[in-house]
Amino acid sequence: MGVDRVTGRLHSKIVRTLFVAFILIASACSLVSCGKSGNSLVIAVNAGVEGSALKAAAQQWAEQKGIRAEVVELPYANLFEKELLDLTSHTGAYDVVMLDDPWFPRLAEHLEVLPKEPDGDFVKPALDVCRLPYKTGAYRALPYVGNSQVFFYRGDLFEKYKMGKPDTWQHVLEAAKKIGAGEKMYGYVMRAAPGNAVVADFMPLLWAFGGEMFDAAEMPALTKPEAIEALKFMIELGKYAPPGYTGFNADEVAAHLLQSTAVMSINWPAWIAAMDNPAKSNVVGKVEFAVMPSAKAPGVGELGSWLVAVPAGGKNKAAAFEFIHWATDPERQKEAAMRGNPPTRKSVFERQDLREKYRSYPVQLKSLEGSRPRPRTAQWNEIENAFGIYLSQANSGSLTPEEAMQKAEAEIRQILARGR
Amino acid sequence: MTGRIAAFRADLASARGIPWVAPAIGLLAALSIYPLVFSVKVSLTAQAGGFSFEHYIRLLTDKFFLISVWQTALYSFFALSIEFLLGLSLALLVDSLARGRAIFRAGLLVPMLLPPVVAAVAWRLIYNPQFGVLNGMLRMAGFDTSHLTWTSGEGAAMFSVILVDIWEWTPFLFLLLSAGLQAIPQEPIEAARIDGASRWQILWDVILPLLKPTIALALLLRAMDLMRIFDQIFILTQGGPGFATETVSLYIYRTAFRFYNFGYAAAMSFVGLALTTVFARGLLRFMRVQ
Repeated sequence: MGVDRVTGRLHSKIVRTLFVAFILIASACSLVSCGKSGNSLVIAVNAGVEGSALKAAAQQWAEQKGIRAEVVELPYANLFEKELLDLTSHTGAYDVVMLDDPWFPRLAEHLEVLPKEPDGDFVKPALDVCRLPYKTGAYRALPYVGNSQVFFYRGDLFEKYKMGKPDTWQHVLEAAKKIGAGEKMYGYVMRAAPGNAVVADFMPLLWAFGGEMFDAAEMPALTKPEAIEALKFMIELGKYAPPGYTGFNADEVAAHLLQSTAVMSINWPAWIAAMDNPAKSNVVGKVEFAVMPSAKAPGVGELGSWLVAVPAGGKNKAAAFEFIHWATDPERQKEAAMRGNPPTRKSVFERQDLREKYRSYPVQLKSLEGSRPRPRTAQWNEIENAFGIYLSQANSGSLTPEEAMQKAEAEIRQILARGR
Repeated sequence: MTGRIAAFRADLASARGIPWVAPAIGLLAALSIYPLVFSVKVSLTAQAGGFSFEHYIRLLTDKFFLISVWQTALYSFFALSIEFLLGLSLALLVDSLARGRAIFRAGLLVPMLLPPVVAAVAWRLIYNPQFGVLNGMLRMAGFDTSHLTWTSGEGAAMFSVILVDIWEWTPFLFLLLSAGLQAIPQEPIEAARIDGASRWQILWDVILPLLKPTIALALLLRAMDLMRIFDQIFILTQGGPGFATETVSLYIYRTAFRFYNFGYAAAMSFVGLALTTVFARGLLRFMRVQ
């Protein structure tokens, strides 16, 4: 009995000690987190060339302000997941988020409206995608990286074969045949892996052939003759592409250009620097850059800008807004450009020192000014996935272009119906 | 009365243990039970809100889901069959060696020790049609590899991803079966040999029946793993070309984290769980193992 009582007392003592320890730890944790939210800025960035400039800017800003900048670098797909979960559940894990422009329609309602409107120096298409609704609504982000597709081609070989410049898609096809056969190279290389890759390479063709993804009533318009013709042309171009291109992403496309095994391709400006880097390239000074070729309509490149924004659930909004305006001002854009990021301000594109460093800047600016974003719908990820599957199947030969477009249109209709 | 008091004391004594197990129970409830119950609720909530079976009904007509189920079954069947046959053969071979067993075992385990993501990235480079080592070696041997694309043709892509799985996970079956072989008593084998049984008869009538529980366990563990295959395919083909290598896990991931439809993804997960359970029960029944 006596032993029981002693054990009981000991037991309740231990429970009490554990309870007090728990309370102390919990209070310490909450104090630490309180301190954090007041004196630090948590920034989610893409782990890549686009994110590294913002990371450097954050550290510079933190030093100036005497606060702590915590940069969370995440790979492309994980960045979207984390931001989606944080923004929709308003956890306030991030004070500033970096986002790809196709994600904006999905995330925009969870982003804070900018307290002051951006100035007119930003290139318009890059700025329009920061508004909800598109082009007309309030600004909820600022454009940080001015990405739009550029046409890469071997200037030396075009000159050798007296092919002029690749200004129309028909011309591109002829050059792919002639130069490819003459040089025993692949005339053209493209991305046709399912999903984002194949859709990104198809959109400039669709627009150039006069097609549209959606009609005026916002219903898919992929069975229209223009769209089918564009897909047929893509498959025709694929005959001059390396085998296995239906699994290619941007890195495989760039590798073919860098190794001098392909003549032309569409790609993102991030790959421009590599072309003239002797450590990576066998084609230094030989690759030229152009805006998208035209067909029935003028050539248009797809916009792929990176934006910076402040989550509605953020804990440090005033500092976050101050930071994103500072990071996108002309001087900081110039510094980011020196680190390899395409700017979003016209004045930065036109700086002489930068034009001397980057010979592609006039083309990049022209491409960005004429670029178009992916359709502005919150269901774009699902639509792009379904569309990409059928485009990829058409390119691998398991569906005819007509079948692929019919199936894609039916699937997209279902996706839209589910979202309404 | 004394009995009641004794029972009350016993209850009190056992109740004293509650605070000690409470953190573990709390953790289990927070990390396992609550999310499970919550995901059941999410799967039964319509996109517009309210209780509904709409996600489960959609599963019956969603051809992407049905194709992904079929492809997962195909992938699992071929990978499991080949891994089992290879694993068993290797285990028997190494078991029969008089010397050097430890070296063989260690060497064979290397692929399994690599993280699946690392293995998939390495194989992605190996499979590259132009710059990959596989086509490079075939070219050196005089083969025409101009149309050998490995992961870009619809049929070839499935074959290629299965091959990577076999390379990486055959050692797992080898390891389990090898351990099982070592645990078999030698007396029945010796008795069969004295009775004049051939090697094949010893294997078929003595070793395999004794190894059956280990085989069942190995197949069960590997099959459950195969049915939720994700990482290798995500890196090697992203489910492509087209939809040729899309599996259930990949489709669930896309639905939840790319399309932001957690309800439908949860419904698919529960159907996947049900299919895996049915398969596991069927396998155990087929092998007559408790």
